[in-house]
Amino acid sequence: METARYLLKKLLSDRTAALGAFLILLLILAAILAPVLATHPEDVTEFHPSERLQGPSAEHFFGTDRMGSDIYSRILYGARITIAIALIAIGVSVLIGVPIGLIAGYYRNWASEALMRVSDIFLSVPQIVLAIAIAQTLGPSLENVILALSATYWPFWARLVYAETRSALNETYVEASIALGARPWRVMMLHVLPNISSSVIVRTTIGMGGTILTAAALGFLGLGPPPPTPEWGRMIAESREFLPEAWWYATAPGLAIFLVVMGFNLLGDGLRDILDPRIRRSRDE
Amino acid sequence: MKHAMRHAVKFVQHPLRAPARALGRLALAACIAVGGLTASAGFAGADGKFVFANSSPYDSLDPHAVFDVGRVATRLNLYDGLLRWHDNPPKLDPWLAESYEISDDGLTYTFKLRQGAQFHDGSEIEASDVVYSMERILAMKKGAFSLYQGTIAPGSTRAVDKHTVEFTLTKPSAIFLSTVPEIHVVNEELVRANEVDGDWGTVWLSANDAGSGAFQLRRYDPAIGWSATRFDDHFMGWDHNPNPLDEIEFRTVVEINSRVLGLMNGDFHGTDGYLPQDQVKRLEESDNVYVNEQESMRIFYAILHNGRSPMNDIHFRKAVSYAFDYDGFNQDILSGSVARNPAPVPNNIWGSPGDVEGYTFDLEKAKEHLDQMTEPLREITVGALAGYQQTEQAAALLQNGMNKIGIKTKIVAEPWSVVSNNMRDEQQMYDILFLWRSTYYADPHNWVGEMYACDQIGARNNSWYCNQEVDKLLTEALTSTDPELRKANYEKAARLVTEDAAGVFVYNTKWFGPFNAKVKGVHFSPIGNAQEMRWIYFEG
Amino acid sequence: MRAVVLTVHRLVWFFPTVLGLLVIVFAISHVIPADPVAFMAGENASREQIEALRHRLGYDRPLPVQFFSYVVGVLQGDLGTSLYTQRPIAEDLISRLPATLELTFVAVFLSALIGVPLGVVAAVYRNSLLDHLLRIFTVSGLAIAAFWLAILLQLLFAMRLGWTPLQGRVSGWGPDEVTGFFLIDALIMGDWEIFRDVVAHMTLPAITLGFPAMATIVRFTRAGVLNAINSNYVLYEQAMGFPRRVVVWKYVLRNALIGTVTQIGLIFGVLIANGVVVEAVFNWPGLGTYAVNSILQSDYNAIMGFTLTQGVIFIIVNLLVDISHGVIDPREAR
Repeated sequence: METARYLLKKLLSDRTAALGAFLILLLILAAILAPVLATHPEDVTEFHPSERLQGPSAEHFFGTDRMGSDIYSRILYGARITIAIALIAIGVSVLIGVPIGLIAGYYRNWASEALMRVSDIFLSVPQIVLAIAIAQTLGPSLENVILALSATYWPFWARLVYAETRSALNETYVEASIALGARPWRVMMLHVLPNISSSVIVRTTIGMGGTILTAAALGFLGLGPPPPTPEWGRMIAESREFLPEAWWYATAPGLAIFLVVMGFNLLGDGLRDILDPRIRRSRDE
Repeated sequence: MKHAMRHAVKFVQHPLRAPARALGRLALAACIAVGGLTASAGFAGADGKFVFANSSPYDSLDPHAVFDVGRVATRLNLYDGLLRWHDNPPKLDPWLAESYEISDDGLTYTFKLRQGAQFHDGSEIEASDVVYSMERILAMKKGAFSLYQGTIAPGSTRAVDKHTVEFTLTKPSAIFLSTVPEIHVVNEELVRANEVDGDWGTVWLSANDAGSGAFQLRRYDPAIGWSATRFDDHFMGWDHNPNPLDEIEFRTVVEINSRVLGLMNGDFHGTDGYLPQDQVKRLEESDNVYVNEQESMRIFYAILHNGRSPMNDIHFRKAVSYAFDYDGFNQDILSGSVARNPAPVPNNIWGSPGDVEGYTFDLEKAKEHLDQMTEPLREITVGALAGYQQTEQAAALLQNGMNKIGIKTKIVAEPWSVVSNNMRDEQQMYDILFLWRSTYYADPHNWVGEMYACDQIGARNNSWYCNQEVDKLLTEALTSTDPELRKANYEKAARLVTEDAAGVFVYNTKWFGPFNAKVKGVHFSPIGNAQEMRWIYFEG
Repeated sequence: MRAVVLTVHRLVWFFPTVLGLLVIVFAISHVIPADPVAFMAGENASREQIEALRHRLGYDRPLPVQFFSYVVGVLQGDLGTSLYTQRPIAEDLISRLPATLELTFVAVFLSALIGVPLGVVAAVYRNSLLDHLLRIFTVSGLAIAAFWLAILLQLLFAMRLGWTPLQGRVSGWGPDEVTGFFLIDALIMGDWEIFRDVVAHMTLPAITLGFPAMATIVRFTRAGVLNAINSNYVLYEQAMGFPRRVVVWKYVLRNALIGTVTQIGLIFGVLIANGVVVEAVFNWPGLGTYAVNSILQSDYNAIMGFTLTQGVIFIIVNLLVDISHGVIDPREAR
């Protein structure tokens, strides 16, 4: 509890990290309070063709889209999609990647070598390319986007945790506890995992931003959830037909993506400074 | 590998090219001097070259592999058929054939070819080339194949003599003549010389030209498009055109805004006529562009899977028909650029039942029908074409209406290749699917006939709709040669299908063809959408 | 010596990695929900025709056998034929590769040209207002969705101001192809109009693609320079009374840039992949646009060929980076 308070204090004293945290807070609030904050909550599924493509006004803060729906309200609901994709995809990646990295790092045998080689092969293809291939073969839907992202993102954690585990095992007290006959899972859980958790948290925070960008790109390419899902990438793709007149149509969702990803990146940077004293920002940046 | 392809693509060298480019360069320099690229419209077409911005990529030039309106230009300009559709309303003109005869039993069609008509390589077009082309279509089973499936058997087409070709139908077909223009004649000798492992030259012809059309291929790059130069020896001659084009170029420009901007600043001289209305308005305001408005034949509708519950319940189908906001779609989303078309035949062709009122957006009536249903309700899947905003918007609008009467729906947007597979499979077919039905040949059979005939189920009838009364009318019309009877039958069939609410019929397209202000001589026909370039010339 | 060992080690791992990549691509292409054979057979094929074609193409053989013949085909440069156009995919990809490479080279070049000096400046004036501004700038570069930036640039420069073309690589057919790189080909032809036209077309896509890359380079250069400045020998040089400017540009940069050079290599690989979306927006006729068109047509074969090509390029680039890194900076070789 003490450490948490200490961390929070340190985080808030770093202006950029605080800004990041604030932006993420906004995203979460937008998602949770979407029904309250939205001026036209029904517009996620309901359309008003006669009001289509109107510019920003007091009635429609960010204008209306091709179906006459309120873009502001749709962006708020889109925050839910974004959070769902990022949380589940990253969650799954962590759940797959961390144990693999941990086990492969702990045991030094052919199996751990093979596990790392498999993740290296995944890392040998640019993530977005592999995600496109998978999402394309599975067909466009929310579930498949999440699947494609999870399937391509876990090796990053496996790699990271593997390397961190190897170095943690060199720590004297870990070596000591192994020498004293502690069981492997006990060593992993009690000594290795806490040791590497800060790197994982930093990587996860920055990974959230990356995932949101990739998911938006998939949506933009038409591989995301189908209409009328208010997915941000898809909204930008829709808008292209109505440019340059309907400039607001592309601007608002893009700005939303930008701010959210920026939030995660800033927070990630800040967390790295605080949690990982070995790599100060001044050195690593 | 790359080299072989590049040579193949550039196999026709064009003498005009260098000077044309020099001229363009000069003009460009002049324009920049005058102030900005936007002024470049001044030299549009100065060198007799027409640039058309096409929305879909020309991935294949093979006239027998492709049968869609988006890529019709290769077929109309590089190739010829025995007959050809012209004008609006479309009429069938003699083309490579100067005359034809139909036997009394309606089974044998004999075409007399023009003497001395030439392919691009100078060899004469003979009856054997027509036979080869027909067999090639039947063997490849692509493109327009479906038009002849079951009507023409492989091996049944015969060259009677050098200039006479005879088709023998397996059963009388009132529409066969209408489909003859799609038998594009390829140069048998040339294609055979490029066959690999009995592939009918499919690989070679996808990037090369073996035709006789008014223009011959000069350059092709699937990533860019193709260009062709005038074929002076074309059998129809060039007397109809005071100042024919030297060169045509069809360039793939996927993005709408690029096509519109290119037209406005004179880089392009024409583009497709189905732009969103907001963009048409932008074009109309430009001095460089005029918009040619024509009533076309391309209906937009929702296919309902009549063979599956609950769509097999007429009350459900009627409820769906009353739950679509026709005015909202036609007037607001499409800005009134289309005309309401309540039946499965375009309003502007014979055989259309003019008196059908059709359905309106009326949620009360929809609910009434819903109450009378016997089949249980469930979540309905609405299909749309990925990449075609209109279908997505229509699906969303229908979802909107159905929500309000308490029916849950799920929208699935998938690419055409997937959709076209699914719609032929009774299990895979969506509950509802929004789609266009374009003109492949100008006969009501192209619409109501193919869409709702029992023997077309799973092929061109994707509704799994089979009404014996309708089917009898359609079969009679297909085999009869009496125009009055055919007209009456199609009208009646269309009325019955509408009464059954077998589909949700939304609109018939208008065509807004944007052209550079200097372009003259545009001939519009719903088949081909004004892309037959031999008519076109630049003024001044 | 270590560099040699490292190089050999990397080279040895190259082939298993590519083989693994082949397994992944093959696996993805064989869990396809729709039936590729049915699609190839054409719209009106009967069940029997489809089965016959399946047999002819060998899709009815056991998976390991299919995989083996797939690998053999790939080794011979055969990536299969497009389901949509029936053309060999390898040919299509090769003909589009120069467009993608040219754009990527230009984007990387621009981002290094701008990014390195900015990074040095940010480090030298650490914690100044300039440093903070640059920080915001670089963080933005990494947070912005490339396709959105592309659309904004189009909206402003092509649609509103009309300064640049909206999309495409060149007006018309471009220069006579010698290298496939239009900038070079235009120079070979000596045609300045085309050269200028190519430059105009390339401006927006290169900026879009290069922005995040530049952000990364700024960050790395800044970190590298700071690291060097804080190191002992620099302190020593300063103590010896060398002017700060000389120390920074002469001693610090040389050491700091090793990391940046490595980073630029890695960025090159990443940018080729990021190009997918950027190319799609600008209709740039490279690998990315090809992939996106293939997506629209559900051309699985083409997408798999593309994925494989991207993977191999990426592996090769990383390999080269690793090796050169080992050569430039033997200390790092482990």
